[in-house]
Amino acid sequence: MVLVIWQKVVRGVEHLGRFSRFCGSAFAAMGASIAHPKTYPLVWTQMNTIGVKSVPVIMATGAFVGMILAVQAYNQLAAMGLEERLGVLINIAVVKEFGPVLAAVMLAGRVGGALTAELGTMNVTEQIAAVESMGTDPIKYLVSPRVLACLLLTPVLIVYADLLGILGGYFVSVIQFKINSGAYWDYSAIGVEMWDVATGILKGFFFGGAIALISCYKGFTCREGAQGVGEACTEAFVGCFISILALNYIFAVILDAVYKTFWPLRPLI
Amino acid sequence: MIRSEVHPEQGILVTKNLTKIFGERVALDNVSAAIEQGKTTAIIGQSGCGKTVFMKHLIVLERPTEGEVFFRGQRIDRLGNHELVGIRTHFGFCFQMGALFDSLTVYENIIFPIQQHREITDFKALGELVKHKLALVGMDGYQHQYPANLSGGQKKRVALARAIALNPEVILYDEPTTGLDPVTSDIINELIIKLQKELQITSVVVTHDMKSAYKIADRIIMLHHGKMVADGDAEHIRNHPSEIVRQFIEGRVSEADLAALRLGGTKFPTQFQPEDFTGS
Repeated sequence: MVLVIWQKVVRGVEHLGRFSRFCGSAFAAMGASIAHPKTYPLVWTQMNTIGVKSVPVIMATGAFVGMILAVQAYNQLAAMGLEERLGVLINIAVVKEFGPVLAAVMLAGRVGGALTAELGTMNVTEQIAAVESMGTDPIKYLVSPRVLACLLLTPVLIVYADLLGILGGYFVSVIQFKINSGAYWDYSAIGVEMWDVATGILKGFFFGGAIALISCYKGFTCREGAQGVGEACTEAFVGCFISILALNYIFAVILDAVYKTFWPLRPLI
Repeated sequence: MIRSEVHPEQGILVTKNLTKIFGERVALDNVSAAIEQGKTTAIIGQSGCGKTVFMKHLIVLERPTEGEVFFRGQRIDRLGNHELVGIRTHFGFCFQMGALFDSLTVYENIIFPIQQHREITDFKALGELVKHKLALVGMDGYQHQYPANLSGGQKKRVALARAIALNPEVILYDEPTTGLDPVTSDIINELIIKLQKELQITSVVVTHDMKSAYKIADRIIMLHHGKMVADGDAEHIRNHPSEIVRQFIEGRVSEADLAALRLGGTKFPTQFQPEDFTGS
């Protein structure tokens, strides 16, 4: 029993070491890619696949989050006569947490799974070895454009999620629950600061990086056969999901400490 | 004819005491071989004997556990990936299943290595070059097809055209005739001979197709459980005294394997019925 646990720990540390080296190579390759405009078309292609094609699903996610928050919070606030402050609650929750996290989770499912499946299939059909045999670094050719596209476009997708979340919450609050539109926006403007929006978008860089690196790593190291690719996709999604939540927690602690250092506590209601 | 000592300058590609261990499995055991320039060398042996692993070491797609690999007298197995770029442009590698990029057309597949290593300014000339390379393998006219629309033999021919895109000095073929019908296999054999004669390319062919090996190879090396057991021309291999070699080239099952099959005790008289597993 102890031996089995020990072997699992050793294997875990080995994986972590290999993943760290993979990330190091990916960052070095990204630096080289940025310096060589010849590689830009590869990045544009990935930006279209990863970013542009994700816009509808991310917008739908954001809209539903805002609408659900309005439905869930209205009764409690209305009982206290504070329904006009619904906007603060919805918008701060959307821009700080739900928008970035749910957009990232959606991306992990849509993009992460596709990246792992694509690279995993290329791996088992020796296409990655073929790239290497022709004197091209597969990390530079395959991983770097995908990571760059995810890094650059996840924050933009979060803006879309935030926007639709805010609009979704507004429509439910104002049209369904008949809250005064002017009061809804006024309280929102007082409660939500640029800091909240900016930190939510900042998280996008890290979420995007984590999604792309984990998914590409799993694709590059997947075992042979359909089962191997399937397992790699599952592991990639679970890995991305856990990383997004863990990173979000770390961000919450750090950003909260930074905020408290410079500004006083602000009551929202 | 197995050489016990090889020197880095003895051939265009030389392996010295090459050993590769995966976990606890020894894939290659002290293999020393010198591949001669301009000749076709076939590496034969049973499935899993280490043929492909050996070939991947020649282009440093695998790193040896022990031993050395030389290309034109230069040790290459310890070079970093960046330094290997220049070395690898001298090679063409034809993978077993073609390994064509399925998101790219035939044309894009063939220009891939050129795009990676040359500045392309004249796309018309590039189109002519692709046409010429495809014509060499009898595939001109397929430029805009995707690999998914090609048959197994066609994929291997396109892979061959891609392998010669950069005019390499050495082409490595991994089981080029496996999974093909006899006629298509012979077409591939003829192509390998044609490329070697017309372009004076050094070829290393991993195969377990003896008909193909006899036809194309100037020299045949046999591996068995990761060890080199025979090395010589077709005549030498045909008349080899070793039972392991004779058994392989004649495609005979060994007495030991037959005994193991008998011990397995297949239930011939009745065969298994579904009821045997229901417990009723």
